[in-house]
Amino acid sequence: MLDKTTIICRCEEISYEEIEEVIDQGARTFDDVKRLTRCGMGPCQAKICTNLVANIIHEQTGRPLHKIPLPRMRMPLSPIKLETLTTDSTSFSAVKSVLDEVELEDGKVR
Amino acid sequence: METEVLIIGGGPAGLTAAFEMASRGLEVTIIDESFSLGGQLCQQTQLIRALPSAYQPMAGFKLANKLTEQLKDFSVRYLLGHRVIGLYADGSIGVTDEKDVFPVKAKKILVATGAAENAISFPKWTLPGVITIGAAQTLVNRDFVMPGKEALIVGSSDFALDVAYQLMEVGVNIKGIIEKSAVVNARDKEKVNQVEKKGIPFYFNSYVKEAKGNGEVEAIDIQLQNGILTETVDLVCIDGSRSPILDSFYQLGCSFGYQEVLGGWIPQYNKHFQTDQKNVFLAGNAAGISNHAALLLTGMISGISICEELKVLNRDAFKELTLSYWRELENLENKDAWQARIRHIEKFSAPLLKDQFIS
Repeated sequence: MLDKTTIICRCEEISYEEIEEVIDQGARTFDDVKRLTRCGMGPCQAKICTNLVANIIHEQTGRPLHKIPLPRMRMPLSPIKLETLTTDSTSFSAVKSVLDEVELEDGKVR
Repeated sequence: METEVLIIGGGPAGLTAAFEMASRGLEVTIIDESFSLGGQLCQQTQLIRALPSAYQPMAGFKLANKLTEQLKDFSVRYLLGHRVIGLYADGSIGVTDEKDVFPVKAKKILVATGAAENAISFPKWTLPGVITIGAAQTLVNRDFVMPGKEALIVGSSDFALDVAYQLMEVGVNIKGIIEKSAVVNARDKEKVNQVEKKGIPFYFNSYVKEAKGNGEVEAIDIQLQNGILTETVDLVCIDGSRSPILDSFYQLGCSFGYQEVLGGWIPQYNKHFQTDQKNVFLAGNAAGISNHAALLLTGMISGISICEELKVLNRDAFKELTLSYWRELENLENKDAWQARIRHIEKFSAPLLKDQFIS
């Protein structure tokens, strides 16, 4: 069903051929493929391509799907504006601490 | 913000769980990223027949209203238009209202985040006009937008046939239903008849070879058993089945197991729908893809489990209710899903994925 040019990660425009190539080089998990190709690093953060990539790894290597682990799911779980992350909320924000150096004025990044 | 129970996801499972808990006096907060309750039910106009005994058969959007209505006498806090973006070091949930990020501290967390549709890739599947069946349904029934005029449906599940029919009702010409196996996937024979009566061809043992078009989909090459058929279309609706949405579980440190029938990776849980993080419960499609009855019943089971832990339901009543809800689940859930669920629960103490690195 797939040809070499079929897009697998639409955000980063990674093709089937590129995924196949890194599997040849030894990639066995989604995160392996991600580190080598940027697959899954776009705006959707792998929400669309995770299963597509797992299926390709399965087809290419014969490794069963339950042996192909989930990708690491990191914060923030979905896209958020930096401005929102850095608001001068009175309650604490662990996320904010990373960005404490950003200067704020009326809750907006100056 | 503090609450006794935080429910992530205000769909059918979250709402039935909320009813069990709020009606017994627990302080419940429901967070949902959309501005309405009911989740995917809101755009489901099809009749849902198999429901728990407390509910009559009704259309999806009516069920959404009913589940929302039955909470109105209780004090439930709704955080609509809010999203969970992560977890604080002290275990509080990080929530955003798109203006601010704030922590919500809860004694118990119930994750009912539902499922996401899977993609199916083929050459040029990223052309505009190629969408999922769920997206097609949302466009027609929620946004009142006709997604195209000439359509092909890829997949023949009950859901795919429902959406095919709903598209036809608003005037979309369905040129065919493409199914990779040799038979219709849908269990409801009435739905199959309904679609067949309209003269829509089924292409079995077939798949999409390629989409064609410049800037938008213009035609589809269907690989049939004995050759290629090219259909001119401006809409392709893909049913790639669904998988549980797991990111909240991952951040909460839950373990995972694998059950293909239930959608692949799913959080590990016991018969009380409690994960191995003892304050984290789950319900609905997040606990394995199943039918509407199961969405409601798993919400009810996890709801009473939290009630028992927070001591608003006595042990005997809890045991009796758990038994009766499980009995209903066994009767109403498809046999293969129910068996996979039982196998999954049996593996509670031996998950395939655990102690994941959280960052």
